[in-house]
Amino acid sequence: MHKVGLMAAVAAIMVASPALAQEITVWDVNVDEPSNASYYDHAKSAFEAAHPGATLTFLSQPDAEYYTLLGTALASKTGPDVIWANGGAQAKNLVGGLVPLDDKLPDLISKLVGKSAFTAPDGKLYFIPTTLQGHVVYYNKALYKAAGLDPDKPPTTWAEMTKVCDAFKAQGKTACFLMANKEGYEAEFFLSEMANQSLTAQQQVDWLTGKLHWSDAPIKAILQTWVDTAKDGWYQEGGNSQTMFMDEFTLFSQGSAGNVWGLLSNVAHWKVFEKDMGVDKVGVYPMPSPTVAADQHQGAPGVPLDGGVGYGVNKDSPNVDLALDAVKTLASPEVLTYLVNDAGIVPANTLVNTSGIDSPGLKRIMGWLATSAVPTTHANSSAAELDEWHRQSQLLLNGDTTVDAAAAALDKVQAQAKPQK
Amino acid sequence: MAGAGKRQRLSLRIAAIPMGLLALSCLYPIFFAVNNALKTRHDYLLDRFGLAMQPTFDNFVQAWTRSHLDQYFFNSVITTAGAVILLMVISSLAGFALACLRFPYRRFIFVVILSSLMIPVQVVLVPYMRTMVGLHLIDTRIGLILSYTAFFLPFSVYMMTAFYSGLPRELIEAARIDGAKLLQVWWHVMVPLGMPAMITLGILNTLNCWNDVLIALLTMQKNRTLMVGISALKGQYSDQIPLFTAGIVIAAAPIVILYIIFQRRIVSGIAVGAVKG
Amino acid sequence: MEQIGERLGAPCFSKLSDLPMARSSLTETAVASRTRKRSHRSRRAEAIVAVLFLVPALLLVLMFRIIPLFWGFGISLTSATATDPGEFIGAANYLRALDDPNFRSSMVNAGAILLAVPFFVTIPMILAILIDQGVPGRGFFRSVYFFPAVLSSVIIGSIFSIVLGFNGSLNGALKMLGIPGVDWLGRSSTALPVTLIIQSWSTFGMGVLIFLAGLSTVPREMVEAARLEGAKMWQIWWHIIIPELRPIIEFSTVITTIGLLTSMFGLIYVLTGGGPGTSTTVPEYLIWTAQGRLNQPAYAAALSMILFAVTGILAWLQIRMLSRNANL
Repeated sequence: MHKVGLMAAVAAIMVASPALAQEITVWDVNVDEPSNASYYDHAKSAFEAAHPGATLTFLSQPDAEYYTLLGTALASKTGPDVIWANGGAQAKNLVGGLVPLDDKLPDLISKLVGKSAFTAPDGKLYFIPTTLQGHVVYYNKALYKAAGLDPDKPPTTWAEMTKVCDAFKAQGKTACFLMANKEGYEAEFFLSEMANQSLTAQQQVDWLTGKLHWSDAPIKAILQTWVDTAKDGWYQEGGNSQTMFMDEFTLFSQGSAGNVWGLLSNVAHWKVFEKDMGVDKVGVYPMPSPTVAADQHQGAPGVPLDGGVGYGVNKDSPNVDLALDAVKTLASPEVLTYLVNDAGIVPANTLVNTSGIDSPGLKRIMGWLATSAVPTTHANSSAAELDEWHRQSQLLLNGDTTVDAAAAALDKVQAQAKPQK
Repeated sequence: MAGAGKRQRLSLRIAAIPMGLLALSCLYPIFFAVNNALKTRHDYLLDRFGLAMQPTFDNFVQAWTRSHLDQYFFNSVITTAGAVILLMVISSLAGFALACLRFPYRRFIFVVILSSLMIPVQVVLVPYMRTMVGLHLIDTRIGLILSYTAFFLPFSVYMMTAFYSGLPRELIEAARIDGAKLLQVWWHVMVPLGMPAMITLGILNTLNCWNDVLIALLTMQKNRTLMVGISALKGQYSDQIPLFTAGIVIAAAPIVILYIIFQRRIVSGIAVGAVKG
Repeated sequence: MEQIGERLGAPCFSKLSDLPMARSSLTETAVASRTRKRSHRSRRAEAIVAVLFLVPALLLVLMFRIIPLFWGFGISLTSATATDPGEFIGAANYLRALDDPNFRSSMVNAGAILLAVPFFVTIPMILAILIDQGVPGRGFFRSVYFFPAVLSSVIIGSIFSIVLGFNGSLNGALKMLGIPGVDWLGRSSTALPVTLIIQSWSTFGMGVLIFLAGLSTVPREMVEAARLEGAKMWQIWWHIIIPELRPIIEFSTVITTIGLLTSMFGLIYVLTGGGPGTSTTVPEYLIWTAQGRLNQPAYAAALSMILFAVTGILAWLQIRMLSRNANL
């Protein structure tokens, strides 16, 4: 008797309860971030208030395994209803398993910016961006002053930029820029920061389609600048073993370097630096590049800008309509406001009102976004090219390869990833 | 050993010095983890090696509640215990058969099991998932127990085979001559003799199952295990190290405590199994 | 595998003559003669029981490992992505692997890693023997040696990233001695050896446990007898303990090789990300990125099949080699 009872109890424990029919599951890697809590909580309550009987469940996924998990789950049709992804190569890899959104959420889409990171080669939008990601330079005003520079006049041209770094070098205490290329991310960002002004609009389009090659002059010039700036002593030593998100931005806040290539949303953004360093101690400027393309403006570099992260709908979801509503909720101005206020993101939905935020950095950034946004070159590269660029950039930094050899290796990967008919 | 000569005792004492330093280095990560779990993210970023000056338990509370570790803990205990017991029994039976019994295709069967040890996990991910879906084992604990057993079985069978093939055969023969059935031989001779290896397997497989992220992540998508929940704490930018570390401390604590409590038993278990010659 | 098969062919018997026959209930001759009397029927019964003992293991391995392996081989012949089953493209993925410079250098790295296998095996063995021989503090050592293995590789990786960084504690200490700092994890020449040392440090405790279990099969009386006869410590190690441990040494070598080739991803991911360049990229790492970030599961499957074949050949060679030594 006892044994039977025990067996039954064990059997009951072993079999998990069946899922609710009206449950919408979202996979996301940022759910456990404490400053995001208010956003996810409000998205859940807004969605559930609008759909009685339905629940919205967020599953926080580990970052290292996320895309392996997602790929395996989608291939075996066990994926979630709503899928989170980074804009660019990662998002575009997944579109085969997603619902195209253009006809489904036209009202919402008309209010969005930063869509190209989530637009497939077929021209359709597969994710709704919630945040914008952009690339700017943050600088330490106190260190500028100590190096004999005017802290209120950040560089606007390459000549001025060189002068700034020469001043830091002459002073010999802190590096001009931080280099954190262990994961290869610094090289990724560098590509966009240099292409912002040195590529024409047409060249940016050609880059997306694979017609502009790594060995073509404008891109090779960027590789050369990567090598030259390192040789000229712009960076601290040991850049190839420096991690980016975990360490680099903290080092900058602590005053280890005059400048850092930073972001607009999620991490390493205006809000973090203004909080950690003091609002009047940190400044921001768009990165100038050595050459200025014909349709760009000397002295007014563009800001690479695109969708940061977004949500898509699994086409195998049993509740596609409900899942679409969940995405709509996640991207709605009311809910996104919490992410803006608490986590300091720049929203992709133009209806979100950011004018109430008292930040000189954000005000300047919002101004550039309106006037001088340019494509994010690395987000328009394939995942395979970026992977190879990580490797080649490290070898270039160590002096283990030449610009020509690196460009040739990258060309080969590009040809495979973006075949030209 | 008490009978060791003077010179041997001296050599052992000298050897204890580097071994002690090595032991200290092994203690350090535990200290590092506990110390940093008590820091705020900001304090951690400022100084990773310094003592937590204003220790806070917020990370532990956060890790435990926000990521539902209380629910996940139970899943980890059930699946790990289930798989470890299954692994011990199945691999001991299989090891006995492979090492000590005569039957056709033995070498072939051994090769099949051994080669499944070398299969990189990535090549089987999608087929494995489809199998699990087909068998309706997704999101069930029994599914995860079977998966763990299957994934760690080749190692366990190989180890039991290696261990049993080092035992003197006459121990088995003695029991058989006394008229015992093979199942009795296994239970009365091979299990006690195999105890040292089975305890070691128990420890290693407990670690493997308890610390696994990938298989559990795929298999238990809604109803998760502890390590999956903890891995998600790290965040996209890997800057949530104190929170993550608090999770790791919570996860590692039961293992370390159990190991230390049962240390004596484990040692005596190994001694019981020891061949008295 | 042939050799272990041969040893299996005479399971447990091989050491019969080496062992002192101290069991009171039987003598050598009794065993031998009664064994000979065993009937044909009991042989068949033995085979049936053996198969029954193996059925659970075989079923699980077949269902979750072998069949998925063949299935995965099928995928490796296609152009599948996560969201598209793709089409049959024959050996194209394999040809691509041969032409992939990153895969080639990852195989070279794998070769370099294999040179470290003897250290990965002998260090835990020596430590285990010392513990078994009664080194002072053995209980403490036994407890703490496996601590690094309990913690996530993320924590181990974080510690060493800071210690070994260019401005880290190791270079700080070297500077005090007047030695210029080295970017240990950022230079192509040092990154792989350093990663291997950390890997061995964080896993040696498992090896110690395995060898401790193996040491329980070494007859104490033999060791004692040799000692009373005045044998030196190294003689006892070399002539009694290590030969008795041979099956465990072979097991440990094969397991370590497989482990180094198929489960270093976690540590490499946090420590170096495979860089600089490809200097710490192992085949497993490429398989991970192909499967995940690059969304090329078919290519990942092809690389996995190649790695599987290489590991299999290596294990076969090792077993052959170690078992041949056994006959000396």
